[in-house]
Amino acid sequence: MSHSGGADPRMPSASKPYASSPISATDLPADYSGFFAIAFGIVGLMLRYKLCSWLAIICCAQSLANMRNVENDLKQVVMAMTVQFWMCIDCLDCKF
Amino acid sequence: SALASPDPTHFEGFGEEDALESDSEEFEDGPIEILIPPPTVTQSNFETHHGPPEPSSPEPKPKPSSSSFEYWDEDEFEGLPIDPSPRTENPTENSSSPPEITQQSPSPKTLPSRSFHVEIICVSFLISFIINYFTGKRENENIALAWASCFATKDTIFDKNFSLLGTGDGKDTPLLLKEGQNIFKFYASGRRYCQGLLATMELQSRHDLLSRIYNFVVPCKDEITFEVYMNDENMDHVLFAMARKKLAKVIHKEVRDLQRYAGLLSVPMNRKWVSEELAVMSESREVASDLITEAVLDQVFGEKAFEKFGKGFISFHFSDQHAGSHRKMLVFKFSLPNANNMADMTRLVALVPYYIDLVGRYKLSSQARSKTEAARAKAAQEIYKELQNVRQEAIQRKKAERRKLMEEAEAKLSAEALRKKEEKERARQLKKTMPKVKMTRAH
Repeated sequence: MSHSGGADPRMPSASKPYASSPISATDLPADYSGFFAIAFGIVGLMLRYKLCSWLAIICCAQSLANMRNVENDLKQVVMAMTVQFWMCIDCLDCKF
Repeated sequence: SALASPDPTHFEGFGEEDALESDSEEFEDGPIEILIPPPTVTQSNFETHHGPPEPSSPEPKPKPSSSSFEYWDEDEFEGLPIDPSPRTENPTENSSSPPEITQQSPSPKTLPSRSFHVEIICVSFLISFIINYFTGKRENENIALAWASCFATKDTIFDKNFSLLGTGDGKDTPLLLKEGQNIFKFYASGRRYCQGLLATMELQSRHDLLSRIYNFVVPCKDEITFEVYMNDENMDHVLFAMARKKLAKVIHKEVRDLQRYAGLLSVPMNRKWVSEELAVMSESREVASDLITEAVLDQVFGEKAFEKFGKGFISFHFSDQHAGSHRKMLVFKFSLPNANNMADMTRLVALVPYYIDLVGRYKLSSQARSKTEAARAKAAQEIYKELQNVRQEAIQRKKAERRKLMEEAEAKLSAEALRKKEEKERARQLKKTMPKVKMTRAH
C-alpha cells in the first residue's frame, strides 16, 4: 500500500494519553450466570435438592471467570459465594 | 371382633416393650392405632391366611418355625385367632410404627444407597472448568500478543504511523490493556488528522468451559474493531459504510445515522467496483466513488483480491454523525485469523492509516456539499422539533400539576373560608362589569 502522503505522518505533538471512559454499571453486559447461580442456590436451599446446589456452584464459578471489571462484579460474586457457603453446609447435613 | 379388641392390650407388652419406653410420644398414639385397625384387618387376613402366604407381607407368616420373636410359645396361643402377625403387619403400614424403627437401628451401616453420581459429575466438571480456565486464558493472551507483535511493536505499521503506542503515557507503557479474559485494547495516538485510535479485540471466551461448549453450537469469530477519532476540522460531510450484503441490511436498519442519511448504492456501470459480495451505503454517490479508489480495489476489494485478502473483512463505517461521545469517527471491523498466521490481515490493517489520510484530506465538491448540507439542516430541524415537543410537554405537565395543587388547597380550605373567597371573587367580577366612574376632586 503506497502511503500517498510520503512525509512522516507521525505528529508527536498531537498525541493524547489514553483516557479510558468509565463504563457505568448499567451498560455492562448482564451477568446471567451470576443470576442463575443465586436462583439455583435458593431453589437448592429451599427444596433440599442437591443437583440444584451443585448447578449453582458451577454457575458461580462461571460468573467468577467472566468477571470483567472488579468493583461492579465483586458485590455480586461475594453474594453468590455466601449463598454457596450456606448450601455446602446445608448439603452436608441433609445427607445424614 | 370384641374378642380381639381386649387382647391387643395383653399383647401390647409383647415384642413392643422396649419400643414403648424408647419413644414415649409414640406411646400415646401407638395403642389407639392398634385398637382401631385390628378388627377390620384380622377378618380380612384371617380368611386370606388359609390361602397361599401373602408374598408382599414384609414379615414371614407366624408359622411356628419362622416366627421372628425368639420367645414365641405356640402352645400358649393355640386356638386363638392369629392376632400378632397382623398386628406386627399393620404397624408397619403406618409410617411411624415402632418395630420398623427397631429394625432400622440394628443396621446403620448400609445407608440407603444414595447415588453419589451427582457429586462425581459436578466435581469433575469443576476441575475441568478450572483447568480450561487457565489454558483458555493463555490461549487468548497468545492471540492478542501475536497480533501486537505483528502490528504494534518496533517498526511495524502502527509504529510508523503513530508516535504514542499503548495505553500508558511514558516509555515503558504496556501495549495492550486487558479487560476481562477475552477483551484486549490497544491505543495509539500522535498522528495527523486524527486524535487517536483505539483497537478493541473481542476474542471468544475460551477461558470459560460453558461458553466454549456453547460456541460449538453457535460459532462466533474473534473480532477486532478499530475506532479512529478524527479531528473535527479534518473530516468533511463523509458518511460511508460497507459490509457484506446480509450484514449491510442489518447495519442499515440498526445504525441511526446510516438510517437517516445513507442509502444503499447500486453498482455504477462506468467504473470498476468492489466485489459483488459487498454492499456499499453512502449519503452521496460521489463520496462513495471517491473513497473506493483504484489502489484499494486492486489491493483488497477488487474481484480477485477480495477472495484472497478480504476473508477477514467485516465492515467499515465512516461517519461524522456518530451517535455517542465522539462525533467524527472511522470504524473498521475485521475478524482475526488464528495466532500463528496473523500476517494474513496485514493488508486489511494497512487500510486504516490509508483511509485516515484519504478522509483527512477529502473535501466535498460544491454540489455534493449543498446536498449534504440540506440533508443535515433538515435533520437538525427534526431534532429541534423533537426537543421542542419535549419541552412543551414538560411545561404542560408542570401547569397541570400546579392546577391540581391549587384544587387540593381549595378542597382543604374550610367551608367559610371558601365562602369568603367566593364573595371576593363576586366582588371582583362586579367591579369589572361596573362602568368606569372617575372621581375628580373639586377644584
